[in-house]
Amino acid sequence: MNCNELRDHYELYAIGVAEDPERDEIRVHLNRGCEVCMRGIKEAREIVTLLGGTAAPSEPSARLRRRILASVGVEERRFGWAPFLAGALALSLFAVVYFVGREGETAKELARAREELGTRNIELARLNEAFTILNGADTTVTSFGKGQTQPPSGNIFVSRSQGVLLIANHMQPAPAGKAYEMWIIPKGGKPKPAGMFQSAGDGSGMHVQRGPVDPNADLVAVTLEPAAGSDQPTSTPLFAAPIRGLLQ
Amino acid sequence: MTLLLPILMAVQAGADDSELVLRMQRRDPRAVAELYDRYGRVVYALVLRVVRDTGIAEDLVQETFLRVWNRVHGFDAQKGSIGPWLLAVARNRAIDYLRSAVGRERNAVEYEETDHPALFCDMEKDILSSDKARIVKSAIQKLSPNQRQVIELAYFEGLSQSEMAERMGQPLGTVKTWVRTALKNLRDELGAVVSA
Repeated sequence: MNCNELRDHYELYAIGVAEDPERDEIRVHLNRGCEVCMRGIKEAREIVTLLGGTAAPSEPSARLRRRILASVGVEERRFGWAPFLAGALALSLFAVVYFVGREGETAKELARAREELGTRNIELARLNEAFTILNGADTTVTSFGKGQTQPPSGNIFVSRSQGVLLIANHMQPAPAGKAYEMWIIPKGGKPKPAGMFQSAGDGSGMHVQRGPVDPNADLVAVTLEPAAGSDQPTSTPLFAAPIRGLLQ
Repeated sequence: MTLLLPILMAVQAGADDSELVLRMQRRDPRAVAELYDRYGRVVYALVLRVVRDTGIAEDLVQETFLRVWNRVHGFDAQKGSIGPWLLAVARNRAIDYLRSAVGRERNAVEYEETDHPALFCDMEKDILSSDKARIVKSAIQKLSPNQRQVIELAYFEGLSQSEMAERMGQPLGTVKTWVRTALKNLRDELGAVVSA
């Protein structure tokens, strides 16, 4: 068949309903590169495409789109308030947790700062007390532990009107549950508790006992006692220094 | 106007189809979403017209898009619009289903030939423009009822001329005359369009 005889069958061929012998003849022409038939089939496909758009309009279900996208690996999320509400709730919870956490952190930091400030204030007060004694007009000093092979050693400042200041070195850290306790011991009398203290990490120790000093005081001694303190010494004094001469 | 609506939905697609095809070839599944948004309605309308069952039509439309997704590497994005190929695949899937459903011999191999992506690479990118859609509508309206029927039987039901003759209870020669005349009229009406 020649191209002119096949022309009426181009569209049928294009939509797949051509019959033999025309169908085979068109294939032969196309396979040998017949330009007339190739152009004719191209135009026939375009006409057929146009026919495809003439179907009455119909609306597929919204589900179809999701099905198609799911089949190629896209998970479409349905629009709804639930995700937004869930997001808002999550955000709110996060904000609550965050700010409560921040508030907790802030409270902890404030407590730490307050505690630190308290400690500093105590230290400052002790230093002020120490300076008061050191600068007292009636203050005198005595040393202890010098020349001895066993520590500790140090000085005791005594102001009859202001109190007693102990500054010591080489003091071992008190064992757990224990603390150092200072005693003011009158001549012939019972030791009087004069306050608890701990040594610092470098072995130094400072303790202030404010208030007028008993004129009958004979010695200042330090013992290791339970941290709660004792009414009377329960251990051998680490050291003792005579102060009676300082009070004259 | 309603007759043209599916085509109008795909009118603006041609210019951006190349980029869409390239994205699909790079296996960007989101491009399928855009392809569906451009052509989903016209494809569905075509398939529903063939199978006349919404559930089956949706299944076949899904098959169509999946088939295009899997074969898109054979399409030359620089040369043609993907819309005509999509319609061809959709129609062939629908006709193949219809033939198997009524016990007619399936012609899957031939359909495989007619929707091969390479055949649509040189088609005009604006083949589905609204202007051309109006011309098609006008051309179909000008056909006689018998001519319009044979065209519809061929395109929407996939009947050969022999099958049309049997269906219509008409001599094969008469049907062939109707087909030949109908196609000539369409060609005359649309020739300028497809050649433009």
